[in-house]
Amino acid sequence: MLKLTIDGSEIEVQQGTTVIQAAEQLGVFIPRYCYHPGLSIAGNCRICLVEVEGNPKLQVACNLPAMDGMVVNTKSDGAEEGRRSVLEFLLANHPLDCPVCDQAGECDLQNFYMNFGLYDPRFREHKNKKKKAVELGPHVMLDQERCILCSRCVRFTDEITKTGEFGIFNRGDKAEVGIVPGEVFDNPYSGNVVDICPVGALTEGDFRFKARVWYLKGASTVCNGCSQGCNIDMHYVLDRPHLNDGARLVRVKPRYNADVNEWWLCDEGRYGFGWLDHERLTEVRVPGTNGTPATWESSLDRIAAALRDADGARIGVIASAQLTTEELFLIREIFQRGLGARVSARVPEQPGTSDDLLIKADKNPNTQGAALLGLAGPAAPDGTDLIADARAGKLDLLWIFGHDLVQLFGMSEAREVAEQVSLLVYSGTNENPTADLAHVVLPSAAYVEKDGTFVNVHGRLQRIGRAFPPVGDSREDWRVLLELAGRLDLPVAGSGVQEVFAQLAAAEAWVPTASYAELGDQGLATTAHEEAPSS
Amino acid sequence: MKLQELDFRAAEIVALYEFKKAAMLPLLWLVQENQGWISPEAEDWVGTTLGVARSHVHEVVTFYTMFHTAPVGRRELRVCTSLPCLLRGSGDVLRRIQDEWKIAPGETSAGGEVTLTEVECLCACEMSPMAQLDEAFVGPLDDATLGTVMRASFEAPESSAALPEPEPYISMDGPVLSTNFKNIGGTWFDEYVAGGGYGAAEKALTSMSRAEVIEEVINANLRGLGGAGFPTGRKWSFVPKESEKPVFLIANADEGEPGTFKDRYIMERDPHALIEGMLIAAHAIGCHKGYVYIRGEYFRSAKRLQRAIDEAHAQGWLGDDIRGTGFAFDIVIHRGAGAYICGEETALLTSLEGGKGFPRLKPPFPAISGLFQCPTIVNNVETLACVPFIIKNGAERFAAIGTKVQGGTRLFCVSGHVNRPGVYEAPVSVSLRGLIEDAALGLREGKKLKAVIPGGISAKILAADEIDVAMDFNSLMKAGSMAGSGGVIVMDETTCMVEALDSASRFFADESCGQCSPCREGTGWIHRILTRITAGEGKLQDLDDMLTIAGDMEGKTICVFADAAAWPVQSYIAKFKEEFEEFIRSGRRLENKETETCSS
Repeated sequence: MLKLTIDGSEIEVQQGTTVIQAAEQLGVFIPRYCYHPGLSIAGNCRICLVEVEGNPKLQVACNLPAMDGMVVNTKSDGAEEGRRSVLEFLLANHPLDCPVCDQAGECDLQNFYMNFGLYDPRFREHKNKKKKAVELGPHVMLDQERCILCSRCVRFTDEITKTGEFGIFNRGDKAEVGIVPGEVFDNPYSGNVVDICPVGALTEGDFRFKARVWYLKGASTVCNGCSQGCNIDMHYVLDRPHLNDGARLVRVKPRYNADVNEWWLCDEGRYGFGWLDHERLTEVRVPGTNGTPATWESSLDRIAAALRDADGARIGVIASAQLTTEELFLIREIFQRGLGARVSARVPEQPGTSDDLLIKADKNPNTQGAALLGLAGPAAPDGTDLIADARAGKLDLLWIFGHDLVQLFGMSEAREVAEQVSLLVYSGTNENPTADLAHVVLPSAAYVEKDGTFVNVHGRLQRIGRAFPPVGDSREDWRVLLELAGRLDLPVAGSGVQEVFAQLAAAEAWVPTASYAELGDQGLATTAHEEAPSS
Repeated sequence: MKLQELDFRAAEIVALYEFKKAAMLPLLWLVQENQGWISPEAEDWVGTTLGVARSHVHEVVTFYTMFHTAPVGRRELRVCTSLPCLLRGSGDVLRRIQDEWKIAPGETSAGGEVTLTEVECLCACEMSPMAQLDEAFVGPLDDATLGTVMRASFEAPESSAALPEPEPYISMDGPVLSTNFKNIGGTWFDEYVAGGGYGAAEKALTSMSRAEVIEEVINANLRGLGGAGFPTGRKWSFVPKESEKPVFLIANADEGEPGTFKDRYIMERDPHALIEGMLIAAHAIGCHKGYVYIRGEYFRSAKRLQRAIDEAHAQGWLGDDIRGTGFAFDIVIHRGAGAYICGEETALLTSLEGGKGFPRLKPPFPAISGLFQCPTIVNNVETLACVPFIIKNGAERFAAIGTKVQGGTRLFCVSGHVNRPGVYEAPVSVSLRGLIEDAALGLREGKKLKAVIPGGISAKILAADEIDVAMDFNSLMKAGSMAGSGGVIVMDETTCMVEALDSASRFFADESCGQCSPCREGTGWIHRILTRITAGEGKLQDLDDMLTIAGDMEGKTICVFADAAAWPVQSYIAKFKEEFEEFIRSGRRLENKETETCSS
C-alpha cells in the first residue's frame, strides 16, 4: 500500500493504482474522455490533467502511477486552466449541434463545459467539415464532426470484441473515426460503442430522434435474454406516449457489474425488448364463453375447483426458466408439494448462439434457479414425458407457463394435448399458438413489470426490478400463484415478493440471505457455482 | 501484377522482423511499387498476410502521405513548399507548373502522365527551391532546370533524360564526419577501410568491454544530434545490463526537420560510418539486431545504405560471427512513408511496429521497453556516425573539439537567403554568425539579415542582432532558442515574417499526428488564423489569440511536437510584432522595407 494526497485528503491505495483511480476512491471526479476503466490507456484527450507537486508540467491522471508521498492537486489554478484549454481545443471544430443531437443531456462535452469549462469561446475560423449521419450498421450511427477522437470505440473493437472494425483514418485535424469503407458494423456487441462514446459521435439508430434523454425514466433490472444475467437499466417513457409510438420502453443500457457483465451488453439483449410492448396478452381469455367476459376471479375459481377435484398425479405443470425464482418456488410448493402434481421446467429447447464474452446458449435467465429448486436439469422430471402422458390421456389438467408447445413439440402434438386434457391453462406475456389452444389464458406481467430474482449461469442471485405496472389486466405470476394458494388453503402466503423470498430463503440452503433488500443492485453469489447443466 | 504473386516476396519481408505486423510499411511499399497505388483489395491482402484487421491497414495507408489511396499518374512530381524552399521561390515554381499543366496539387495530368503533389520539407534545402520527380531530388529549380524537370515529368520514367544533379557546397575537411563526403557517388568498402574504416569497430569488439565503450562515449561528451541533445553514453547506460529480452538499436534516419539535410549525406556518401557506429553501439548495449528507419522520400539513401550493408555482410562486418569475435549483429533498413512525426523516437517505434506514427506515453521509456516491448536505443544517424571517431581517436580528442559540455563537431545545414547553402562540418562551438558569414558566404545580393532559425523550423527564431552565439546546445538554449537538428534557416530583409510563420504553421498542421487534442486542434487553428491574416482578413486580436493558443498547447501533450509548434508562433510574434500588426492593418505584406522598420 502507498499513501498519497489528493486535493488535501490522504488516501491509501494499492501499488499499481493510477491517480485517476485513486481520486475516484476518494470521491474526487477527474474528467475523462479517452480513459475508460474497461479499456487500455490511450492518454490522448488530455482532459484529465492534474498538478503534481514538484513537477512543473501538468500530468494526465489516467497514466500517472500513484506514488508514495505524492501530492496531487485537481483543483489548482494550473489544473483548472489546463482542463479549460483542453476543452476549448476539443470544442474548436465541434459542430455544437446539440439541439439535434441524441446525446444532448448525457454528453460529456456539455457536462464538462458546465463543470470545468465556462470560458468565452475564441474560435472564429471555419470548422472542419466531416461526414454526418453515417449508418455504420443496423444499430449504430456515426457523426464524424462530433467525434473528439478519443479512440474508445477503436479500443473496444480491438480489445473487447477483437473484431477490429473501427479505425481512425488520416491525421492531424483531418483525422476521422470510422470503419473500412464498404464494411458493415454488425458484431454481436455493436451497441456498446454507443455507450462508451462520451459524445454524440456514435448514437443508436434505434433511439434516433425518439426522445430527449431527460424525458426518460430508468429502472435497474437484469436482462432476461440468456442465462448470463447481464445487469441493465431499462429506459422508458410513460407520460409522453407520442415520443415512442405509444411503446413504454425506449432503450436498454448495460449497468456495471464486475462479476457479471462489467460495462457491456450484447445487441440481442439490448435490442430484443420489442415484445414487451408488442402483441401482449392483456386480458383473461376463456374461449367458448360466447361473449361473457372472463375475469381473474371466475377463472381462478374455476381452476382452483378443478385442481381440488383432480388426482394430483393427473395434474401437470410445465414451468419456465423465464419465471422468477420466487415464482418457481411457489409453483413447486403449490403443485409439487401441495397437490402432488408433476412439475417440470425441463423442456427440449434448442440452444442458441454463444460466445466466450457474454452470450450464453441457454436463452433463459433463470435455468439455474429452476435447477436449484429441482425443476430443471438432468435430475428434474422431464417435460417431454409430461406432454407424452397428456397426449396419452393420463393428465386431466395441464398448466403451461410461457412456453409454446407448438414450437417445442409440434402443432399436431399440441392440438392433441389440448384435446386430451380437460383443462389446459396458459400463463404468458404474449400471444402465441399455445395461447390459441388453451382453455384458459391468463395474461402475465413481463419481467420489467414485476419484482423477483434470477439465478444466472454462474450461480449469482440477482434482483430484477419493476419499472412500471403490468400492461392491461395482466398480473405478476407470483401474485396469481399466491391467490391460488389462498383458494387451495395451502401454507404459502404473503402479499409481496419480499415475503415469498423470505420463505424461499428459509427453505433453501443455497440462498445467501434471508433479506431481499440485501441482494442490492449487484446480486450475491449463491453456493451453486457450477454451470447449469444443459437440460 | 496479381497480389498473390507477391506472396513469396512478402514472406521474405515478414521474415526480417520479430513480429509480423512490423512488415506493414514494407508490404504497403511492395504493393504500391507493383500496382501504383494501394487498392481496397491490397489492404485486404496486407491485412490477411499480417493478421491485422483491415481497418488498421487502412489507418496506416491514410496516415502516411506517400501512400496513394487512388490511382495516380505514371510519374509523381512532389514540389516542396516548406519554409526553406518558400524563401527561395517555391511559390513561383508551383505557380508555373500549375499554369502550364493546368492542374492543381493532388491532380493528375489529363493523359495520366504525372501527378502533381505539394509536399512539406523533403530535407534537401541546400538545393531549394526543389522538388522530387519519382525518386530523384531535383533543384535548385530556376527557369531552365524547372523546364527540364517539367518535360521529364511527361516522359516515360525509363526513357527520361538525365535530370539536373545539383552540386551544392558540402564541407569535406572533417575532421569527424565529412572527410569522405568528397566521394559524391558514395564511399564504398575498400575505400572506407583504406581510410582506417572499421578500425574502431575492431578495437571495440576485440579489446573493449561494453562498459568501457559506454565510458568512452560519456567522456567524449557526445550529445544526441537529432535535436534533443541528450548525452549519448548516458542513454546507452540505461539499457538493463542483463536483459532477458533482446535489445534493439535503431538509427533514426527519419530526417524531417525543415532546414535539415545532413543525415542524407552520411548515408549517401559515407554509409559505412553509420554501419560501423551502429556496430560499436550494438556492442556497448548488448544488441544483436539493428534497424535503420529512413524517411520514405530518401530512396537513394536507402539504396546506398543497403549496398553498404551488403558489402559489410560480404566482408564479415555484419552477421552471426563478426570477424571471428563471436559477436552477432545485423541491420535491417525500414522505410517510412511520409510522416515527420516518425522522427520522434516513440512514434518511430510505433511506426516500425506497423502502426500509425503515434508517439507513446512515457513511462515506460524505450531503453526499458521500446521496440516490441524490448529495451531499445534510438540514436540519430549523425550521432552514431561520430562513434567510430571517438573510439578510434579517444574521448579526449573528440571532447576537445567542442565545448565543456558538448564534444565534437556537427554537420550544420545552412539554407535560405545565403550565397552558398550547404552542409558545413564545424566544431559545435562555432558561432551562428560564423556559419552564415564565413561558411555560407553571407547573404545573397548583399541584402541585410533579418532573422535566423538556428536549429530547424521548431527552434525559436533569432533576430539579426542575436547571431553572435555559439551553436552548441547549451549556448543556444541560453540565447532563448535551441540547437535542435542543426538546421540554420537564414532570412534576409525581404522576408515577410507573417508569410514565414504561415508556412511554418502549415507544416505543423500538416504533420501533427492528431493523437492529442491540444496539438491536433491547436496546430490547425493557428494555421487557419494565419491563412486568414495572409489573405488580408486579420484582426489585431488574432495576435493575442495565437499567443494564448500556443501557450495552451505547450506542455500538455504526449510528445513535444505541440511545444515545437508553439515556439515559432511565440517567437515570431514577440520579435516582429510591429510587422504582424502592420500586415493586419494594411492587409498585405511589407515590400522591400528596411529591416529596422519591421523588427521591434
